[in-house]
Amino acid sequence: MTVPTRKEAVARPGRRGPADPVRALMHRHRELCEHAVDPLEIAAALEASGVTDRSAARFRHRDVFSLAEELYARVPRVETGPCPAAAGPVPVPRSRGVRTALQLLPGAVCAAALAAFGAAAPTTPLVRPAVEAAGVLLVALALRLALRTGPLRVRDKGLPALLVCWTTGQAVYGHWLLTELLGGGPDLPLHPRAAAASVLGLVCAVVPATGCARWFAVRGRRGLAASRDLAELASRVRPLLLGATAAFLVAQVALLAAARAVLGGTGATDLAAAAALGTLLFLARLLAVHGFPRAAATGLATAAVLEALACALVLLARLPRLSPAGSPVETLIRHAGPAAVPALACTAAAAGLLVYGLRALTGAWAHSPAAAAEADRP
Amino acid sequence: MRIALLTEGGYPYATGAPHAWCDRLVRGLTGHDFAVYALTTHPRQETGHPPALPAHARLAHTAPLWGAFPEAHRRAAEERRGRLCKRRERRLFAEHFGALAAALTWDRPPGTGPGDGPMIDKADRFAAGLYGLADLARSHGRLPRLLRSEDAVRILQAACRGPRALPAAHGAPLRDLLTVTEHLERALRPLSLDWYGPAPGGLDGADLCHAASGGAAALPGLLAKRFFGTPLLVTEYGVRLREHYLARATAPLTAPVRALLAAFQRALAAEIYAQAALITPGNTHARRWQLRCGADPARLRTVYDGMDATAFAAVGDTADRDSKTLVWVGALTPDKDIVGLLHAFADIRRAEPEAALRIIGTTGGPRSPGYRAQCQALAAQLFPDEAADDRTAGENPVSFEEIGEPDVPTLADAYAAGAVLVLSSVVEGFPRSLVEAMLSGRATVSTDAGAVCEVIGGTGLVVPPRNPRALAEACRALLADPGRRARLGAAARARALELFTVEQNIAAFRGIYLELISHAPGRPAAAEGAPRPFDSPAESHVPGRWAAATVGHTPSWAAGEERTDDEAMAGAAAAPAAGRGEGS
Repeated sequence: MTVPTRKEAVARPGRRGPADPVRALMHRHRELCEHAVDPLEIAAALEASGVTDRSAARFRHRDVFSLAEELYARVPRVETGPCPAAAGPVPVPRSRGVRTALQLLPGAVCAAALAAFGAAAPTTPLVRPAVEAAGVLLVALALRLALRTGPLRVRDKGLPALLVCWTTGQAVYGHWLLTELLGGGPDLPLHPRAAAASVLGLVCAVVPATGCARWFAVRGRRGLAASRDLAELASRVRPLLLGATAAFLVAQVALLAAARAVLGGTGATDLAAAAALGTLLFLARLLAVHGFPRAAATGLATAAVLEALACALVLLARLPRLSPAGSPVETLIRHAGPAAVPALACTAAAAGLLVYGLRALTGAWAHSPAAAAEADRP
Repeated sequence: MRIALLTEGGYPYATGAPHAWCDRLVRGLTGHDFAVYALTTHPRQETGHPPALPAHARLAHTAPLWGAFPEAHRRAAEERRGRLCKRRERRLFAEHFGALAAALTWDRPPGTGPGDGPMIDKADRFAAGLYGLADLARSHGRLPRLLRSEDAVRILQAACRGPRALPAAHGAPLRDLLTVTEHLERALRPLSLDWYGPAPGGLDGADLCHAASGGAAALPGLLAKRFFGTPLLVTEYGVRLREHYLARATAPLTAPVRALLAAFQRALAAEIYAQAALITPGNTHARRWQLRCGADPARLRTVYDGMDATAFAAVGDTADRDSKTLVWVGALTPDKDIVGLLHAFADIRRAEPEAALRIIGTTGGPRSPGYRAQCQALAAQLFPDEAADDRTAGENPVSFEEIGEPDVPTLADAYAAGAVLVLSSVVEGFPRSLVEAMLSGRATVSTDAGAVCEVIGGTGLVVPPRNPRALAEACRALLADPGRRARLGAAARARALELFTVEQNIAAFRGIYLELISHAPGRPAAAEGAPRPFDSPAESHVPGRWAAATVGHTPSWAAGEERTDDEAMAGAAAAPAAGRGEGS
């Protein structure tokens, strides 16, 4: 009963096998064969779609491997352009408004704290120090919040907090501290005077820092994607780094000058010190973000050590017969003001970091898309 | 003896069928000490509960093959550090990584087949580079950082731009080179781990390394063989290289990256197969891939996966003589071609109007929710509901059920319910449901896919895939002949009990362990000049338990064989009295 039907099925016209049975298979698996990198890949995929050694015999082959080799040889490879998915999953950014608000937050908090400080009655004891301490704490928290997201977020290890505090403290209170030290103090009770304009300018500079860092990261990644070798990448990234640093410096100086115009400042050296510190912190953070936290910490440590050395020399000069030790610092301060010490220290460290960055940040690892995607993950 | 079980991305963290054999092996071989060295491939694997291992096994080390290098697991440097040393380290790294990169990017000159001169040279360079890097990691301990340095990218770039590089790699843009370097750093991570050494938990203390797959898991085994001469046994139920190809094909990677990574995996597989003392593929399919990758046929020994037969022992020898029920068991996916099965069943119904088909889905395995609905709709179209008389409600001759429903509480009930098991897969690996049906003593009709022919031998009917007519014809023949059904079922049960039980799997590995260790007798003494074969038998390192192992844990039918093993060891030992004295 079944035999005649089968014969009919075989005899049906148009169902006979073609002269080249592999051609149909080639057609069915064309995309696979075009993108395969070696015959074994085709063999694995063929097996996954149900081709066995016994069905390979239908194509006049001993096994799937030799069938795959024929397919690999017969189908020309297609030059794949930029792989569609290789651009990587675009990290879903926090909405632009929220991000901008987060970056503006430290500046606003700082301005509010300064206003509160000014409004606090100077006659009541402990009110001003309390307002000042609260302001410092709030600004620190706001900064932390602003830096935890966006392009200034570090991959694994950030900058050592102690070094950041010390260098920032030097820029803010260094003026007062060195003056006191040279004048024979500090006398108790302490009345530290902060350089308010510098603080406000520096805190506000988080916004341009974020913008410059984002520009550098995006352009750097684009440069990596477009480069064919390391030399080409380096030549693309070098101007980017210099440009980002210069842009940040200009924006920061403008902010500092504006703050000085509003709050009133002490001198040009203060501004220079704050700008140098800002640049140092920006470069250090940039290095840390791109995977060089140790170099960044070294740069900060250099500045901190230089500043500490200046204070130590002044103190050392008080000892009998060691008074010449303090003379270089004294001369410097006499000519350029007390802020010259942090200015010089930070400038030296920032220059060092820039030179290091021109070598390190122009390499391929600094712009690895995988690492960046990892850092962007919430 | 002390066995180091090397795993990747599975045991003891993951559970499920592909990793179950490790667990059965460890629990079955109570006479040996097992130390598990696990490489995890996904963060999820380590967050689960700490794995429960039997008393004679312990989790020696776990290291991740994802994320950043775990500094806590880095091997300490053996040499003193210094500026000069650093420079020397960079030079050595450039040399060895250069050899590795050259081997990866080296194109086969036209007109040469595998086994020709240049290919051998290429394998040699790969091995030289790999072991050079391993030695570097051992002496200087900074390999992970060097692999993530600009030097590594530069070396790879130079190799890709070389005159004899692969065409795909030749035009690779920098970003691809960076991606490849990142992958290589992860793949070569086992070189820098603190697993090799005399410290407790070090591979130095192992008598045998058993890698649960090729690829990264076997890399520590390669190093143990190189550093300490420990024999390496590689077991592959699914070939790692093939999985690699299938996974990479769907990954968002560009052609140069895939080409270079495939070259690396291929070279690594070839090196592992070349160095392994014995390779045990799980079926002929794996064996063919291993042969293709250059494994020596003399060192290949197929060891079938074992299945727990006790659950199916209670299933009666045959179903009712007049039962006309066909059973299909498995996970409902398009690969299983249920549509073809339904068409075949329509054909069967023309000759056997009494026939019924029960499609019993198991949980687990890949799921495609829409497919079940599609099959149910087709069944409703093909077969109208039928009732015994005018007064009762009818039901469809095709029923879709799940394990755990009242009608089929267990898997054994599913097989007991039918007269014939049908398997209609188009694509199949190692067909577990076929083996389970064989263990239940059921006659089977299956399609020729995957390892079906190899499993079934001559104890069931096999038809070509995608041929409902042939499937229907075979089913009809069995339904019409209860005697043939019974004979085939009995033969299938006997075959499955001999080849596919846990006991045979464990007995095979027990024998292989003893064989391998008998070929590497003088290992501990080899360091001090002349090797002294059988000076300290491996079992002496596991006091007390070796002798106890023969009692209670071995099935009665295997007890005789076990004793002969023991006696053979004792007879071969140069100092039998000492060896057995320590052992008992």
